[in-house]
Amino acid sequence: MIDDRLRRPTTTTTDDAPAGADQPKTDAAGRISFRTRIVLALLLTSTLPLAVFGLIVFAAELILGRQGADAVASQVQLFAFAVLVAVAVFTAFGLASELTTPLRDLAASVDRVSKGDLGDPIVVAGDDELARLAESHNRLASDLERRNRELGSILEAIDQVSPRDDVDAIVERVGPDAVAAFALIDAVVIMGDPGTIGLEEVVPGVSRPLRAVMRAGGADIGVLIGRLPATRRWEPADQDLFELFASAMAAAIRNAQLFATVESQNRQLLDLDAAKDEFLRGVSHNLQTPLTSIRAYAEQLDAASPDRRLGIIAEQSERLSRMVRQLLTVTRLESGALRPRIEVVSLATRVRKAWEGLGVDGVAFELRDASDGWLAVADPDQLDQVLWALLDNAIKYGGGAPVTASLAVDEEARRIHLTIADDGPGVAETDRWRLFRRFERGSASVSDGGSGLGLYVSRELCRAMGGELVLAAAGERGAAFTVMLPGETGEEP
Amino acid sequence: MLGGGRVYRILLVDDDANMLALLADQLRADGYEVSTARDGEEALRRLRTSWPDFLIIDMMMPRMDGLSLAREIKNQADLPIIVLSAIDAGDSKADLLEEVAEDYVTKPYHYPELRARINRVLRRLGDKVPRKSLILGPDLTLDLHRREATVGGQTVQLTPTESRLLYALAANLGQTVPTETLLARGWAETEDADPSYVWVTMRRLRQKVEVDPNRPAHVQTVRGIGYRLVGAVGRDGEVGAEGRPAL
Repeated sequence: MIDDRLRRPTTTTTDDAPAGADQPKTDAAGRISFRTRIVLALLLTSTLPLAVFGLIVFAAELILGRQGADAVASQVQLFAFAVLVAVAVFTAFGLASELTTPLRDLAASVDRVSKGDLGDPIVVAGDDELARLAESHNRLASDLERRNRELGSILEAIDQVSPRDDVDAIVERVGPDAVAAFALIDAVVIMGDPGTIGLEEVVPGVSRPLRAVMRAGGADIGVLIGRLPATRRWEPADQDLFELFASAMAAAIRNAQLFATVESQNRQLLDLDAAKDEFLRGVSHNLQTPLTSIRAYAEQLDAASPDRRLGIIAEQSERLSRMVRQLLTVTRLESGALRPRIEVVSLATRVRKAWEGLGVDGVAFELRDASDGWLAVADPDQLDQVLWALLDNAIKYGGGAPVTASLAVDEEARRIHLTIADDGPGVAETDRWRLFRRFERGSASVSDGGSGLGLYVSRELCRAMGGELVLAAAGERGAAFTVMLPGETGEEP
Repeated sequence: MLGGGRVYRILLVDDDANMLALLADQLRADGYEVSTARDGEEALRRLRTSWPDFLIIDMMMPRMDGLSLAREIKNQADLPIIVLSAIDAGDSKADLLEEVAEDYVTKPYHYPELRARINRVLRRLGDKVPRKSLILGPDLTLDLHRREATVGGQTVQLTPTESRLLYALAANLGQTVPTETLLARGWAETEDADPSYVWVTMRRLRQKVEVDPNRPAHVQTVRGIGYRLVGAVGRDGEVGAEGRPAL
């Protein structure tokens, strides 16, 4: 923010400053130069007492005569001498203090100026050396004050531009701001290469052209030109201030340009993201709708005349549906748009249903439920995706060996642990670190047709639900994954 | 069938001819009277001549999508709507869907699940819960159509299940609603759901809507039977004015 001192009004003081109080005295001595006054004062203090002493001695001799009054006369002379010395000392003091008053005022005033108080001019009448000194001091102070004011206006102008402002609006306001800050006749910003913008000649007596290059980020983006009234002085310090203003405004314009660019890119990205969402919705719709029909008709036919092949059609279409959904989940994970819908679910039921949904023949499945009535607190849809992926993996890598799912409760952490274990080749030590990465799978089997997304998606989903997915065991044989989810005891309250 | 033999009329709107025929067959086999429309405009035309008991609308259709159609219909009448969609709860549009429709079913749907949801929607037809705020006391206001509760000045979001349970409780304000009823309302589509679902969900609900969950003022347990929703409670713990709050 802007320092208040910079904005103080031009004249503020009516206080009893020494300079003002001494005005009449300096007026009285106004016509005589300072040097003359010092000469007069020195002469006065050195010669006047001597002259008076001479007069007194002369008068005493006239009055007392020559006869026999020597003792009285010398006493009178001694007394007169003493009185005159005292008078001379006092007169010298008086004159010295009279003569140095303006000097002390000047010193006090310079002191105030250096402390930032530019309000009071020193008034010294006449045109002696002291008056000229006071005048140049006053001019310095008023210049300082004017530049302070200009700097204040500049800071205020800078303060009022925000990178969110329209670039053109900022460009347009720089001119008026410059006019206000520097008391110019007019000013305007011309955007473009400064080299192409011609210089104006300075003609005495006519308004003076001003010019400052607008430089930001190492590039010249334009020129600030203006006209100064012919009567105004324009010193290098003023030009410096003018250029400072131009470069600050150039930076503001540059920021606004960058901000606008970022904003528009942002909008583009949002548009693209929305378009992507819409596209995925369309893809999903266009795939899921026929898959729904296929499965439903297959189920209807199977119900009418049971045929194992119809069951396979139904299961495979279901499988395709799940893969489509998994892809949707991946894109949502990437865009951070995944929002779990937390409900209360029985993990045991959900696992059993997921296993049935996979429609596997010839693989034994065992569910060991030690959850003691605890229920998981999770998003049912997302949980299903995790279960399908883990069970599918267990079947795929288990090579026909039994798959077991076991449920246990960590009462202290209020979590339910579900461990799904297969009896396959397990996960090689070298593969473990990349198991949960996207598009990775165990090197043991390459041509399994999986997407390589299952574990990645599952772990992310578990985490989104406030849980975790870890590789629990990876021995010589078999892999086991443990899903940990928030849980609650199922007791009646 | 529900409603003592009454035949419910469904208007089914889907642009996919296969789906339309399949679902119409399935619903007719269950005793519903089904009429069909291939797009939103046709559906609106049909609504001008006959009024179904509820609608099943596909989310993605050419010309007028399911969401716009559902909004259009809700502007005219408070007909229950179930939306069929290929988007799931994680989609950014799912919230919009829940605002205009009573329920939505994700494709590929399982018919039994859809049927369970239809039954739940029909059951709720009898619930007369105002669509404006339900003020239960200085510390609790329910806005069930928006799935929101205001607890001690703070707005909390309710899950779909929580708001379904509160609907059932609010429709019987001050009276005990059996756990079994709540189970049917909250988990119509879930097989093997047991009362512990209700208990745990109610416990979690209390954490959300009660200022002091250990001494519930509004969501009260009637041990061994069920739950009841009451308005502001008097000093002696009795429910004031038959538990009927100011609306």
